Amino acid sequence: MAHVSMGEAHRRIADYLNRFADAVSYQDGASLKKLLSLSSNSSSLLSLADALAVFHDSNRLIKQSDKFSHLAEILLPLFRALHSYRIGNLVDSYQSYEKSANAFIQEFRNWDSAWALEALYVVAYEIRILAENADRELASNGKLPEKLKAAGSFLMKVFGVLAGKGAKRVGALYVTCQLFKIYFKLGTVHLCRSVIRSIETARIFDFEEFPKRDKVTYMYYTGRLEVFNENFPAADHKLSYALKHCNRQSEANIRMILKYLIPVKLSIGILPKDWFLEKYNLVEYRNVVQALKRGDLRLLRHALQEHEDRFLRSGVYLVLEKLELQVYQRLMKKIYIIQKQKDPNKAHQLKLEIIVKALKWLEMDMDLDEVECIVAILIYKNLVKGYFAHKSKVVVLSKQDPFPKLNGKPVNS
Amino acid sequence: MERSGHFQRRNPSHSSPSSSSSTSYRQSAHSRSNRFAKSAPNSVGRRISGHQEPEAAKNEPSDPPAIAGTCPFMCPEEERAQRERLRDLAVFERLNGNPSLSSPSLAVKKFCRTITSKQVRASDVRPLPILEDTLTYLLNLLHSAKHPFEVIQDFIFDRTRSIRQDLTMQHIVNDRAIRMYQKMVKFHVISHYKLRNHSSFQDASSLHYLNLEQLTKSLTSLFDLYEGESLSLWFRHVPSSIMRSKEMCFARELLRFFRFGNYKRFLNAVAAEASCLQYCIIEPYVNEVRALALAFINNGGYKLHPYPLAHLSNLLMMKVSEVESFCNACGLETCTDEEGNKLLPMKQTTFCRPKGGFMRYGLMGLDQFEDQLLNCAAGEGE
Repeated sequence: MAHVSMGEAHRRIADYLNRFADAVSYQDGASLKKLLSLSSNSSSLLSLADALAVFHDSNRLIKQSDKFSHLAEILLPLFRALHSYRIGNLVDSYQSYEKSANAFIQEFRNWDSAWALEALYVVAYEIRILAENADRELASNGKLPEKLKAAGSFLMKVFGVLAGKGAKRVGALYVTCQLFKIYFKLGTVHLCRSVIRSIETARIFDFEEFPKRDKVTYMYYTGRLEVFNENFPAADHKLSYALKHCNRQSEANIRMILKYLIPVKLSIGILPKDWFLEKYNLVEYRNVVQALKRGDLRLLRHALQEHEDRFLRSGVYLVLEKLELQVYQRLMKKIYIIQKQKDPNKAHQLKLEIIVKALKWLEMDMDLDEVECIVAILIYKNLVKGYFAHKSKVVVLSKQDPFPKLNGKPVNS
Repeated sequence: MERSGHFQRRNPSHSSPSSSSSTSYRQSAHSRSNRFAKSAPNSVGRRISGHQEPEAAKNEPSDPPAIAGTCPFMCPEEERAQRERLRDLAVFERLNGNPSLSSPSLAVKKFCRTITSKQVRASDVRPLPILEDTLTYLLNLLHSAKHPFEVIQDFIFDRTRSIRQDLTMQHIVNDRAIRMYQKMVKFHVISHYKLRNHSSFQDASSLHYLNLEQLTKSLTSLFDLYEGESLSLWFRHVPSSIMRSKEMCFARELLRFFRFGNYKRFLNAVAAEASCLQYCIIEPYVNEVRALALAFINNGGYKLHPYPLAHLSNLLMMKVSEVESFCNACGLETCTDEEGNKLLPMKQTTFCRPKGGFMRYGLMGLDQFEDQLLNCAAGEGE
């Protein structure tokens, strides 16, 4: 931290105060937002922080001038937050910023027009980031991390302020997305439900009015929720929307969406090309796709094991596990095709023995009973058309379309 | 659009698990109190110390400070005196059957729903050693032949709730507390199992057992999903060390078979590997799987080849007589051929799951569990 003279410190602080007050009186959202963006580590905020380390009388400075005294409740805690942030006291920086943000929201309410929306976005963002920092500090000191949870409550309040009839309401989706990020991080995903309900059913909101960027983020998170609940058609719809409207330049974000969209597509029978997986560095799905193409159960199991942690953390593990059914279908189809080449007339009758042999070749040990079990499941779920004759230990396939494709629909439950 | 880093899932700020004494637990989406979770690295040493005194967890700034209980009896004296006056004594607490007289060795503190930490005095709260002795005393009551099981269960259920309340108020989180929780869960599981077919079974008990899952090995939680929370979501937050534990792997394997519908592997795995306690928990799902098997077989079987019940009995691991009754319960008829073999005709259209749930059937090869259960309940065996 650079040492600053008292005079210089005084100058910097007064300068900041003037800029802040001007931004408010001229309704200059673009300028205001820069002044609130603590974690950006901008040079101007850093130099202000240095000044605050030296000059300890901001209170008097603010209160003695008409120009900024009415903004004292915002400014004083904000200064404290900045100072704490600078010296690494992260818990205090969150607490102080929340105080400042609270005062800011009260003022925001009174300002007409949505001029300060960009600044509000910054505040919402900072609340989350500073809370995450604070929790990290708490945890590393053996304390219970609870600031992110508090940030969630605070942002719900902000949501409430925006959920009205005026122009400010378009900001609600951004705040919603910040809430999603918090809830996902905390694992309290069930709390998403009430905001989703507000966004999707409240009459004041028209989804199309929201900024595109926020719509994409929203669909990404709600799409992920559908994946958790294994609602594949809904997940497909939402994640595809996010992908379609996502910024083409942002490969990282595209990858994020694909990470969830791919298992969904696989579940409805749509396989991505290998070059696609390579382009977006989704190599963890490569073997899964191969297994589906080849009917290779061993490969699927291996792929799941290899990336188990990753799949579990992202919540797609169970989705991928379910693909076993389709792999079995593919395997049976291959056997059928081979048989058909040898003797087209008898191809539609598959001896269970043959399937046992094929699985043994894949190093999967199954007896006739289990094969019959699997065949019975495949038939039940309409992945195979036909029937099995228990006495003759044979599967009799329908002569027409014995292995129906999924065609964009998930496997029958 | 946000910087990509914000989409990515960072490692939780709650540090990596101290796997030694922490049991697996389920972080309920509703109450992510990390109170019973693995603690941060620099406090692990303290937790595993040989300390005899209950150890208060780090205070959460917003919570009232933890109390250090000093009550030397199973029931605080004042409460005992009051309940004697009001004749509010359970049968087990009455001295020589006298409804208005108890004693320090018989009275056990009751569960109080409305109490908060703020109102409570240290003299009303039992310290850890007393709680341990109280639990041992309570579980020994299970051996008593004098009273019907429901009465005993009821009493123990309430009094163990009070024990948990005392533990919570004192923020006791250590090996000994965890062992107590395990015993209490075991009790709940056994009584849940035993009372399942009893009309007097109270749902409150089973809900409570669900709450206890937070502190026990993961098998119990896998099949009982909290409403609204998906299993995938829960898996995200389970530490790797627990995911790889023997019990968790078994549970996941069973889950895989169950979701797939692989009745053959599911039933075989249960019969071969499930412990007594695990079986208690899995048992309701065994019949679910059997019903699935019937549905699949009935649907996919060749109309001209009715399925031999003898073979079904093998597959479903049930006695032939029970298979017949099970088929009937699922709306399916059976028939007999000229040689007297019982068969299940295929492609019947009347299949349905019985509305009132299933009867209890045995799992062939697991009859020894019936005896073990009695021992399990008192905390021995298993």
